Amino acid sequence: MTITYTRYVEPLLSADATDGKRSPKPPPRIWQAIDPPFKGYQPAPSEAYQQSSRDTAVVIDNGSSLVRAGWSFDATPRLSFPPDVARYRDRKYNRTVSYVGYNAYADATTRGQIRNAFEPGTSIVGNWDAMEGILDHIFVSLGIDNDGSIDRSVLMTETIANLSYTRKTMSEILFECYSAPSVAYGIDSLFSYKFNKGVNGLIISSAHSSTHVIPVLYGKPIMSSISRLNWGGYQGAEYLLKLLKLKYPSFPGKLTDYQAQHWVREHCYVSQEFEKEMQCFLDWTGLEDRDHIIQFPFTEHMVIEKSEEELARIAERKREGGRRLQEQAAKMRLEKLVQKEQELEYYKDLQQRLVGQTKKETKRLLDEDEFKDEAQLDKMIKDMEKSVRKARNKDLGVTDNVEEEEVPAFPLLDIPDEQLDEAGLKQKRHQRLLKSGVEARARAKIEKEQEKARKAEEQRLDDERRLNDLGGWLEDRRTARAALLQRIKDRERQKADLGNRKSLASQMRMKTLANLASDAPGRKRRRGGDDDNFGANDEDWGVYRTVAMGEQSEDEEEEDLDAEMKTVEAQLLKYDPSFSESKTMAAQKDWTKSLMHAFLRGPRPFDSESQQEVHQLHLNVERIRVPEVVFQPAIAGLDQAGIVDIAADMINHGMGKPQDRNSILKDIFITGGNTLFTGFEERLSKELRAVLPVEASMRVRRANDPLLDAWKGAAQWSKEPGYKSALVTRQEYQEKGSDYLKEHNLGNTTAF
Amino acid sequence: MAPTTPSTDDSHQQLLDQLDLTLKPRPFRNARWKPSQRRNKTIKQIVAEAARKEASVMATQDNSGCSTPNIQSSAIETGAVTPMQTNGSSTHANISQAAQNLSTMVLERNLQASLSTGPIATYTNIESAPSLHPAHQKHYCDITGLPAAYTDPKSRLRYFNKEVFDVVRNLNQGGAERYLEARGAHVVLK
Repeated sequence: MTITYTRYVEPLLSADATDGKRSPKPPPRIWQAIDPPFKGYQPAPSEAYQQSSRDTAVVIDNGSSLVRAGWSFDATPRLSFPPDVARYRDRKYNRTVSYVGYNAYADATTRGQIRNAFEPGTSIVGNWDAMEGILDHIFVSLGIDNDGSIDRSVLMTETIANLSYTRKTMSEILFECYSAPSVAYGIDSLFSYKFNKGVNGLIISSAHSSTHVIPVLYGKPIMSSISRLNWGGYQGAEYLLKLLKLKYPSFPGKLTDYQAQHWVREHCYVSQEFEKEMQCFLDWTGLEDRDHIIQFPFTEHMVIEKSEEELARIAERKREGGRRLQEQAAKMRLEKLVQKEQELEYYKDLQQRLVGQTKKETKRLLDEDEFKDEAQLDKMIKDMEKSVRKARNKDLGVTDNVEEEEVPAFPLLDIPDEQLDEAGLKQKRHQRLLKSGVEARARAKIEKEQEKARKAEEQRLDDERRLNDLGGWLEDRRTARAALLQRIKDRERQKADLGNRKSLASQMRMKTLANLASDAPGRKRRRGGDDDNFGANDEDWGVYRTVAMGEQSEDEEEEDLDAEMKTVEAQLLKYDPSFSESKTMAAQKDWTKSLMHAFLRGPRPFDSESQQEVHQLHLNVERIRVPEVVFQPAIAGLDQAGIVDIAADMINHGMGKPQDRNSILKDIFITGGNTLFTGFEERLSKELRAVLPVEASMRVRRANDPLLDAWKGAAQWSKEPGYKSALVTRQEYQEKGSDYLKEHNLGNTTAF
Repeated sequence: MAPTTPSTDDSHQQLLDQLDLTLKPRPFRNARWKPSQRRNKTIKQIVAEAARKEASVMATQDNSGCSTPNIQSSAIETGAVTPMQTNGSSTHANISQAAQNLSTMVLERNLQASLSTGPIATYTNIESAPSLHPAHQKHYCDITGLPAAYTDPKSRLRYFNKEVFDVVRNLNQGGAERYLEARGAHVVLK
């Protein structure tokens, strides 16, 4: 799935001369997440069985990552598939179905039922039903159609020091279910070594589920010195998966095992100097190359891509709409104005008419228009005139602040109460109220002006101080900034602490709550009667502010602090030559400075709105962190020594005779899928060199094909006479029991 | 929608039928093969069973109580014990004594074999030992994997710098424990 998506790059906030981090970069290289490894239907080769004879062996490299199988005369294995079996009951057709190997990845249902034949993370077969399915699949695919028996000897690989129960059960299946005429077992890494013509040497085999170090003398392994490290490709993939899940806890895509295995193979490499390389892995230089992006399939929510013209058209349409609205509003206003003017006319006319009328007539006229008295009419007319004038001015676009605030007169206030009647007294009270209001407004106005003056004065003094004593002034500003920074930090800490029940902040809060809630505030109550007089003091009410974890009040404060910070920083930027843009708090928090950003999102800005970027994984430190475990198992919490330690110990202390040691050192042989990382060989030889005696000569080589040589070696051996003598026949199995094993140089020894 | 679904479904079902192993003829299988129901065992079970078996063999070796203990043949051969005057007919008077001697002989043979070639490699004893090398006690940041100079005493997480420390302190419930688990340093409650 490819979705192309372009976005406008936001204008750059600041560009330091040295800071090229923001400059636009070419689009990153992106790897797509792989799909399940389903290979489609593969018809079985049928003619091969006819080619084979009773001397031909079926050679099976029974590996925990891939099972390889073929005839002994094949150059490469015919079959290679994961030991996965999906076996379940199909509800629709009401029968049991089973899919083996890559076929088990055919669809979501089959994938959901996958069982691995091996016990997870080991090379020991644990699920024998799955193992039987695998063997069925092998024999069917090899075209065996003999009745009642596979009629060919079987050579199968097993792990070093395989458990006798496991070998017994395998023999049982091969002899009793498939009626194999004879069976032999061997060790995969020894076959690989033999195929690469090794005689004396040290095999370091890091495979899918374990890593073995095996000394070999004269073509025979020294079983007593063999050592195993419980780490392989499987554990590496698991570890990567774990790390990625911790790195992206809310990743929307589903990360699967086979994807992780694929990533380990594709992106990981062995670092030559781990400590040093790790230290600067997230540094800016070269992060572009070190950071690998894995893209998961995604759907962009809104892909609204508009051309310039379209945008212009939309803007025009918006403006048009605005204009129309304005026009409508103006029209409405005009209509209202006209209406108001008419009303005004009417009332003025009424006023005219009242002149010279009798009292009764006046009352009638006033009542008609629901006025109480003439004064109310006057007031009405006055108000209307004012509003009409205002409206007119607004229409004409004239702003008149000249509206002289006429100070209303309060004549009644000066007249003593005795001289007033009932209505007069009422009026007086009203006037008194009005007067206090007017006075209060006036006071506020004066205060405001004073404040303004004070601020101006402060500003003036500040400026003066700055001009006279720049150093001191800057010092003050810097301390102010530091104090603000501290306050912001404190606030954040407090906020974080409140989430934690054990923190001091929450405990104080709980204490206050408990105090407030308790009904017995000490002896006062017992003396009886009196109230605890909470609230008499205004400060009492502050308790509720400390108790409230409310965000509102804090939000206001936050705004305040941030705004203050901005002004202080702006001042510093303006006057302090040593304070640059990059030192501001905003810049300090910027992604280009952030190690975590480089770790999580690589060298580019992250846009949480973009679905594409949300669906991306960034592999960076993991690329060397995962393969490193073989050298330093403690990284992944494995309490075992690394391969270099094991090998060095074996060479320096495990070998009795010095000539044996020297001959082993001349051929250090690397095989297995977990050694395919770039740099594995170099790293191993470098580290071994460091722990070996100076005079020792050492040579490290890698198997021709670390994956297939085990099978090839097994196939080669199955044509040699040694194979014939190592075979356990069906008759021997029946006579001597399922534990019976013929020892040979490439296989395990009997353990009871 | 409705007409297309069956056809696509059908083709997929056909593919599945092609892949299905149970539909393929497997004449080579023994029709009477009936595997044991409990053949799937974990390594732990297998090792435990083997150890138990071995222990029981050892225990029944000498003092099963069903027979008078006999002086062991090897002890006689090596001269550790003075051989008793016995004649062949009375040595193995009863069958249980004979069986006991046989198993002793097997055990001794095995012991001798192991003494000549060193201890037998078993799945459990070839595991490599922990490293005590001080160079391998390096600490790495649990979050980023970079070399870590500091440890947060509260969560026990190692961290690279103060920015990562902020992340460590702002981990949500159980987050720190998951990071510790990746390093195998988490607390396991049993």
